Amino acid sequence: MRILIVDDDSLNRFLLLHMLEQKGYVDCYEAESGHEAVSLAKRINPELVLLDVMMDDMSGYEVAPILKGQAGDIYLPIIFITALDDEESLVRCLEVGGDDFVAKPFNKTILAAKISAHARTRELSKKSYEQNQQLVFYRSAVEREHKIVEHIFSNAVTNDKKLLPYLDFTLMPATDFNGDLLLFSASPNGGLYYLIGDFTGHGLAAAIGALPVSQAFHTMASKGLSVFEMAQTLNETLLKLLPGDMFFAAAIVHVSSSGTRFEIWNSGMPDLLLFDLYGQVIKRFGSQHMALGILEPHEMGKDVQWHQGLVGERLLAFSDGVIEITDDEQNMLGEEPITDWVAQKADISVSELFEHITNFSHNTDPLDDLTCVSYTCQSLSALARRQQVTHVPFNLNLTLDAETIIETDPVKSVINMVCSQIGMYGLHARLFTLISELYNNALDHGILQLDSNLKHSPEGFEAYFDLRMQRLAQLNQAQITITLTYEPTQRRLIIVVRDSGAGFDYQQYSKQVDLENCFGRGIQLVNELSDSVRYFESGNAVEVTINV
Amino acid sequence: MSLERRFSADKKQLTVVADEVFDFGKVQDFRVAFSTDIEDVEAVIIDLHKTAYMDSSALGMLLNMQKLLSGKVTSFKIINTRPQVLKILQIARFDKKFEIT
Repeated sequence: MRILIVDDDSLNRFLLLHMLEQKGYVDCYEAESGHEAVSLAKRINPELVLLDVMMDDMSGYEVAPILKGQAGDIYLPIIFITALDDEESLVRCLEVGGDDFVAKPFNKTILAAKISAHARTRELSKKSYEQNQQLVFYRSAVEREHKIVEHIFSNAVTNDKKLLPYLDFTLMPATDFNGDLLLFSASPNGGLYYLIGDFTGHGLAAAIGALPVSQAFHTMASKGLSVFEMAQTLNETLLKLLPGDMFFAAAIVHVSSSGTRFEIWNSGMPDLLLFDLYGQVIKRFGSQHMALGILEPHEMGKDVQWHQGLVGERLLAFSDGVIEITDDEQNMLGEEPITDWVAQKADISVSELFEHITNFSHNTDPLDDLTCVSYTCQSLSALARRQQVTHVPFNLNLTLDAETIIETDPVKSVINMVCSQIGMYGLHARLFTLISELYNNALDHGILQLDSNLKHSPEGFEAYFDLRMQRLAQLNQAQITITLTYEPTQRRLIIVVRDSGAGFDYQQYSKQVDLENCFGRGIQLVNELSDSVRYFESGNAVEVTINV
Repeated sequence: MSLERRFSADKKQLTVVADEVFDFGKVQDFRVAFSTDIEDVEAVIIDLHKTAYMDSSALGMLLNMQKLLSGKVTSFKIINTRPQVLKILQIARFDKKFEIT
């Protein structure tokens, strides 16, 4: 322990030094004036000071506060050694920052006991100072973490701005980010998707989960996947990524291009409420699945809820933070007030709902994030028109000879080529069905001369396909051409399929499709899935257009 | 390649899971999937959760299955249809012949 002795009397200094040495304190320094004490203390950083009061240049009363000031945050014990014994002087010793006093001539035992007592206090002070430093460090680390979380959220969790007119939503994060997530994306089929979710846990852990969820969601939305497939993929991703005690409650909604049909997957979120035009709840979509990131893929259920709504009906979804917010007396809000507020004003906006909620909670800081999103059934045709589609015109020409026809199935390749163009991905399922129908008609009827009447009976149905295989294997002279032309100005895709067969009398071909028959549906599908169909030449060529 | 199929514990319900592409190339596989070991089967479920592409031959195959099993199987369901596939089923009015969810 480093002790500084300050006294202008050399005899006193000698006595103190001697006494300290006897008690085992060998790291001692002497100052013979106030000024020297101040400058020496700066250099040696004493751990305890024995200070005389009466000195010529500066009194101990003046020196004490300076030394205390220099010592900073750690407690520096200052013990006055004084010949003064009047109350006032002793009180003053403590008032100026001294911690104790010993009368001159000093009693060795008492002084030694006091030194060791103050040494203990200093140790405590040192420890608490170190702990304090650690706390400051951790606190700034946490603050930094939160900044990272905010940064990640503002940069990585992006949403499609052109959907803003269609969704009414508010996110009110708790002071400490708690893992609510709202994602939305246009669907390539002209509809839209949104996801409202809530991670268990908070801070960086939740934000890390939000990243892959956001990216996977947008990728899957751009491919037009079903809400079930989305949930399945997110579940698998999170299962791999999240620690066992963390998971993600989420509801995923797909709104079809009509703007009125919903598909809803709800895993662990509060009921989504469907209101009619008068603000009455007419249907609820409760959670049917465990939150994502818990179950193995094969354990997952597949149930998706769907609803064909009417224009003006409204689907409201919120995170549990909303219904679990409490008032001053710890009463939870619950769902009922929300339905009441909508019943009072059917077209209430989400921000108006939040006004009600903050009135209820009397503006106390929410413990959990609050998120609410509302979609009102409406036409989405304007949205479909805003979908970006490639401006590059293209022409794709496939000429297939007998050998290629036998060995390959060109339909998937054609789809892949077309759907890799910007904005075309959403057409994939429709194009598959169209081109598959046209190609199979050309092959089955044009080239292989198969008769659909065969398919009347179950046995005939099988026989038809056997015969097809047989004739296909024997094929040696044939040609089918598939031409796809895209006109970006009209946003129109024209498909022409032509075969080397004899064609058919298309003027006569307008029979009503019989539901019982296992055939005849192909043409019906082509008619319904395209914008125009035209046969020409001898009926061996067909042109179909699609507006993109 | 055979199709994924599952029986309920009492063997009364058979689920057949169709592949990503459900077209004439699956005629044989589909036939095998719905017609083998079905002595006790009373309900057939066709799970289309993997199916992204479908054409009219798949529709024919479904109807053909229904015809072949009628009298024996009393319930036919099509489940987990994607929007694009559902549209095809709806155009073909399959909702009148199958329970589609």
